[in-house]
Amino acid sequence: MSPSLDYERAREYTDALEGRLVDALDGDQGVSRRAVLGSLGLAGGAALMGTGGADDGHAGAGGGESHGNFGARGEFDEGFDPHEFLRTFNTGFDGQDNLTQEVFEEDGERVRYFELTAVDTTIEVAPGVEFSAWAYQGQVPGPTLRVTEGDRIRVQFTNGSRHAHTIHPHLKNLDPRMDGIPQNGPGVLEQGESFTYEWKAQPAGVHFYHCHSLPLKAHIHRGLYGSIIVDPDPERVRERPEEYCDFHESQITPELTEELVARAKSRNHEYDENDEVQELVVVMNSFDTNFDGGNEVYAANTRAFAYGVGETDGKGNWAPGETKRPIQVDGQRPVRVYLVNATEFDLINSFHTHSQFFDYYDHGTTLLPTNQTVDTVMQCQAQRGIIELDYSDHEPGLYMFHAHQSEFAELGWMSFFEVV
Amino acid sequence: MQDSDTTETDGGVTVQDQPFGLPRWAVAVIPLVLLAIVLGYLFLGSPFAALATGGAALPDVTVSYTTLPDDQTVLVHVTNNGPGTVTVEQVLVDEAYWSFSMTGGDRTLGPLESSTVQIPYHWEPGWDLEVALVLSDGATIHHTIVAPATSPGVTGEVVGTLAVVGLFVGVIPVVLGMLWLPYLRSVSDRALHAVLVFAVGVLAFLGFDALVDVGEFMEAVPGAYEGPFLFALGVAGSVLVIQAVSAWQESRTEGETSRLRTAYLVAVSIGLHNLAEGLAIGTAFALGRVELGAFLVVGFLVHNVTEGPAIVGPLARGRRPGIEHFAALGLIGGAPVIAGAWIGSYAFSPTLGVFFLAIGVGAILQVVWEMADLVRGEDGLASIGTPVNAGAFLFGAVFMYVTGLFIAL
Repeated sequence: MSPSLDYERAREYTDALEGRLVDALDGDQGVSRRAVLGSLGLAGGAALMGTGGADDGHAGAGGGESHGNFGARGEFDEGFDPHEFLRTFNTGFDGQDNLTQEVFEEDGERVRYFELTAVDTTIEVAPGVEFSAWAYQGQVPGPTLRVTEGDRIRVQFTNGSRHAHTIHPHLKNLDPRMDGIPQNGPGVLEQGESFTYEWKAQPAGVHFYHCHSLPLKAHIHRGLYGSIIVDPDPERVRERPEEYCDFHESQITPELTEELVARAKSRNHEYDENDEVQELVVVMNSFDTNFDGGNEVYAANTRAFAYGVGETDGKGNWAPGETKRPIQVDGQRPVRVYLVNATEFDLINSFHTHSQFFDYYDHGTTLLPTNQTVDTVMQCQAQRGIIELDYSDHEPGLYMFHAHQSEFAELGWMSFFEVV
Repeated sequence: MQDSDTTETDGGVTVQDQPFGLPRWAVAVIPLVLLAIVLGYLFLGSPFAALATGGAALPDVTVSYTTLPDDQTVLVHVTNNGPGTVTVEQVLVDEAYWSFSMTGGDRTLGPLESSTVQIPYHWEPGWDLEVALVLSDGATIHHTIVAPATSPGVTGEVVGTLAVVGLFVGVIPVVLGMLWLPYLRSVSDRALHAVLVFAVGVLAFLGFDALVDVGEFMEAVPGAYEGPFLFALGVAGSVLVIQAVSAWQESRTEGETSRLRTAYLVAVSIGLHNLAEGLAIGTAFALGRVELGAFLVVGFLVHNVTEGPAIVGPLARGRRPGIEHFAALGLIGGAPVIAGAWIGSYAFSPTLGVFFLAIGVGAILQVVWEMADLVRGEDGLASIGTPVNAGAFLFGAVFMYVTGLFIAL
């Protein structure tokens, strides 16, 4: 998908306009340069984005100037990009550059091979606020692995961290040696040690992987987690449709089977039907920056307010920031969100959409929704699901989504879709 | 007894010959030179590098105080006490990220640097406000603004009002109390001693009261200023300075003025204490706690009446000094409340508060000492520990406690 607007160009254009106006006003003592820049920034942004005062109710990230604005000050530095992360799936065929991956046949099975390394690193969780993380492949959340049901997932794991780590997959796993816990198989891997985990990709759905070393909550909270997406295999769906819905075998009609197969194709990255859908990975996470057992930062994909607007006057005039900007989606194509809850220290997290209801698939293991027409779902830690959204009848503009624990929202887990 | 290498000068001071025939100045300087060499080695040679753990010093930022100029602004006055620089990256208000700016251009504070964090926030009067500064390493500095209310700005009216308040709290009650002097001059030695000891009880209570206040301020004193040491320094310093001045005066004067001197000392120590009272009142106003301030006024007014007799007690015997002395005593004892109120409302810092209170405590200790001498009498024979005196001391303390309840109400 190519974004309808180039943020970089928009910014340059605004800067040029600002410069011209400021030069024109130079020497006029009655107007401060700052005041000109401030008002122009908003007006210019609004004009470029084509979002005049129309969507007053959606730009909720602020009150008037005098009341100040909630939200984090400033922009993020370079490094992990949550916008890139949103749409990056590592399939073995392709994925992110710093992850060794390949696909090959072995003993009549298809193997998806990945090399993951755990390291100690520092990540930026709010603009300017650093967090000492332990991370798979140096990023939090770890790389999103995406495979097809029935494949063999082979992960060669190397521990480059000072602490002992494992990988525990939330999959149906028949071999206890591969469970990634201290008590089984290789146990924890010390610094410099390697182990190759092998798991069968089952069942279809959106799943979770994380370190299972002790103390558990420290290892998870520090960032050792990621998502495994297992796409349903349409051939298998056709053979065993009853496993992908709540109906009994006797209730399955040929029409329902076709419906389920079509849905499986839409979900499977190897089918053309999947290209139509705008797929996003959202890992809800949180960071206790002062180690007091409570979180200072909540986020969708690690960076507080990263999917918020850069600046706004609270009256519908807003502009994207360099690093903080809404998720741009094409309103005419369906949106699918793979949602995973990795929040530590809080019992539940939630996902709420403004002005829109959605279908929800708990754990993503079914092809018919488990919750229909809802605007809020909650997930306990490690719970995950698939959200399917349709903005085809909505006007273009900003549509907020956030945790509906308002505390979490104001501490960073607040985002926007920009429907274009 | 004399060693072979020592000689006796005519001043009676034993002078030792310097080793190796070095001049005296060289012997004095050599240890300093050696010290410089050792320090140089420590700084440049890093001989203890093996002990370094690699751990960075923890950030240490203190919120000195907060002001609320209007209902849409919160000002948080902060000082970095740590050895390293810190950067305030984010600000949380009631557990929500909020926009803010800082004085001084950037958000980085060097060691001992202070700044004001300005947060545009529409706060609700009376609802506690929790502010947290999030530093670049994720450390948080929390501060709760209890029952927020608008802080008064600097206007001539407020300055004048505080002066009137100070007059009522300090000068008037002290002068009223001093009106007991004619009566005191008519009572027996035994009764007068009881009055003096009563004054000691009053002072003891005030000293204890100051200690409690110091405890409260101490938490807000930036760590680098070493609140406890500052306090000890203030106490010891004022005891020693007042003692030195007093001894110097005594060496130049005779008995009659000695009583006046004691009266002045009592007035000075009570004045220092009243300065701290003024700080409390001014701070209450500055924090927008006007109701609390009004209670403090009534309470201190009643409370401070007892300070009058404490000041004039020493003058109950001997020649009555001129009226100008009484005016001076009244002002010295009472007027610092006004100064304190001004300082407290406009330039309050917990560090200053601790230091003033420490000076007050030291002055009280010194005065108690002088009063004891006064009771013992010229010949030092009268007993202090009589049942009447013990009762009077207790009565003084209890009286202050009871009138202190007016302040607490």
